[in-house]
Amino acid sequence: MSASAPVIGRLPGDQRYWFAAIAVLLLAWPFLFGSFWARIGLGALMWIGLAQSWNMIGGYAGYLDFGHGAYFGIGGFAAGIAMVQFGYPFVVGFALAIVVAAVLAYLVAVPTLRLTGAYFAIATWALAESLKQAALILEITGGTFGLSLPRSPDTFIGIAVPFAISETFFYYVMLVLCTATMLLTYYLFERHEFGYRVKALRDDQDAAESLGIDTTRVKRQVYVLSCVVAATFGSVYAWYIVFIHPNDVLAPIITDRMVIMALLGGLGTLTGPIFGGLLVFLLQRLSSVFLGSSTFYLPLIGVLIMVTVLFAPSGIIGILRGEVGRDDVRKNLKELGEKFDLL
Amino acid sequence: MTDRDTILKTTDLTKRFGALTANDEISLAVERGEIRGIIGPNGSGKTTFFNTVTGFYEPDGGTVHFDGEEVTGWEPHRLARRGLGRTFQIVSPFKNMTVRQNMLAVQTDDGRSREEKRDRVGEILEFLEIDHIADNEARGMSGGQQKLLELGRVLMLDPDVVMLDEPAAGVNPALESRIMDHIHELNDDGTTFVVIEHDMHVMKTLADTVSVFDSGRHIAQGDFEEVSQDEAVREAYLGGTTAEDDEVPV
Repeated sequence: MSASAPVIGRLPGDQRYWFAAIAVLLLAWPFLFGSFWARIGLGALMWIGLAQSWNMIGGYAGYLDFGHGAYFGIGGFAAGIAMVQFGYPFVVGFALAIVVAAVLAYLVAVPTLRLTGAYFAIATWALAESLKQAALILEITGGTFGLSLPRSPDTFIGIAVPFAISETFFYYVMLVLCTATMLLTYYLFERHEFGYRVKALRDDQDAAESLGIDTTRVKRQVYVLSCVVAATFGSVYAWYIVFIHPNDVLAPIITDRMVIMALLGGLGTLTGPIFGGLLVFLLQRLSSVFLGSSTFYLPLIGVLIMVTVLFAPSGIIGILRGEVGRDDVRKNLKELGEKFDLL
Repeated sequence: MTDRDTILKTTDLTKRFGALTANDEISLAVERGEIRGIIGPNGSGKTTFFNTVTGFYEPDGGTVHFDGEEVTGWEPHRLARRGLGRTFQIVSPFKNMTVRQNMLAVQTDDGRSREEKRDRVGEILEFLEIDHIADNEARGMSGGQQKLLELGRVLMLDPDVVMLDEPAAGVNPALESRIMDHIHELNDDGTTFVVIEHDMHVMKTLADTVSVFDSGRHIAQGDFEEVSQDEAVREAYLGGTTAEDDEVPV
């Protein structure tokens, strides 16, 4: 079978049925469960995509990016500013979000990717915080008042938008974006030589350099790509939620959630962010719906992180692979430290 | 060596770490097609020399010429793509990838198609006799297999010169012999080798010429028998003993 065969073509028989069943369920979701669950679904898809975007730089490349959430906010504000300040349609805002995120990420990548381990984490965290403060004082972002986006019309050049501008519509937009992110990750990081080079520089940067890999260039490419993906989700979120504020879309908790989701699911794996994203998002939503507190899940997440790091450092994926014995844990814990250059 | 030309040459190559001069004006010329051994006591500057030549350290003085071009201060990946490959003292396979993926990670400028590259991986793995574990994760390989994989990755560069840092260290005698056979075979096909090795039996059978380092200086050069009789070499290894039956420890 050729290397460029479609994903589903590579799957063994049983998995193909599972894949098809999940695809049908995702496509029919809003019609099966209604608008409330469509909203839950679109949130889950968004967070899975965001966790995957962090996983590109954090999991595959081993760079602990604590400022990644800033690009979600940048995407939101780029789209919002294009729509509010300049009156462009969302599509232009979406394109602007990609361009702004790519340019900024590149400018940030040049100095910060010279750093490793905790130094890189601190530098990116500081960047995110400074961007939030800047957004709070700039007029173009709405400052402390935030930015109200126009609700898009239900027609586009005279043609009715499918499902109008509703939860169902945004559910499908997120489904497309999340699927595209997963396919991109699968192709680039699991099948393409680019992904092997990214993993190589994570495992041993000197060895990678000695094998002709321009590690500086590859790191910048991964960082820019991961930031652009986060920005695309930010722009769609802003379009959907209609009102954005720096304290919401540039909040540190956004990065924290991405990190936790990728860590719990399994770093540097294709499906880890799906499991981690679903677990954390559903815990948050369920605690909000059934326990009346949107923060009740946080202590539980704290316990889960401790359990994961101590007993299953390779996350849910590691548990599914059966890597839960003492030797596996010791080995995985060592690899986790090495991955982030913390040992 | 009348029909040979110099492929790798350092002139007064110097590397300092603070007050320590790890490489002190090292001038050394490696002929195309030879196997050059580098020996010397621990701390004599052998690995620093490798790191400076291959671009991992910025030299404090001197020049490096490779295949007729000055390459002083080039980045390691650029030198690797130019045809100067190297391995490390501590083997470092990319553990979370298969053997085949380790090989495919190598980046060259030779314009090979994806298929050609995959075919080349198959050829090299077969040559090194590790094709049966091509789809196994590198983390499960034995130390000797990891050494072979490391050599295989370097061969993906189609290098003119390969610099090997202790290729026989920690390898069982059978595998050591296999590695040496591969080096000889590749050398017969035209690949030049520069080898650091502490095992003098290996060096004796492997190297055409041996360079001896001591305290960051290049103190002697010649075939193995010549350097083992050299006064300066005896001094470096044995601390000044002059008994007639003393020689470089083999």
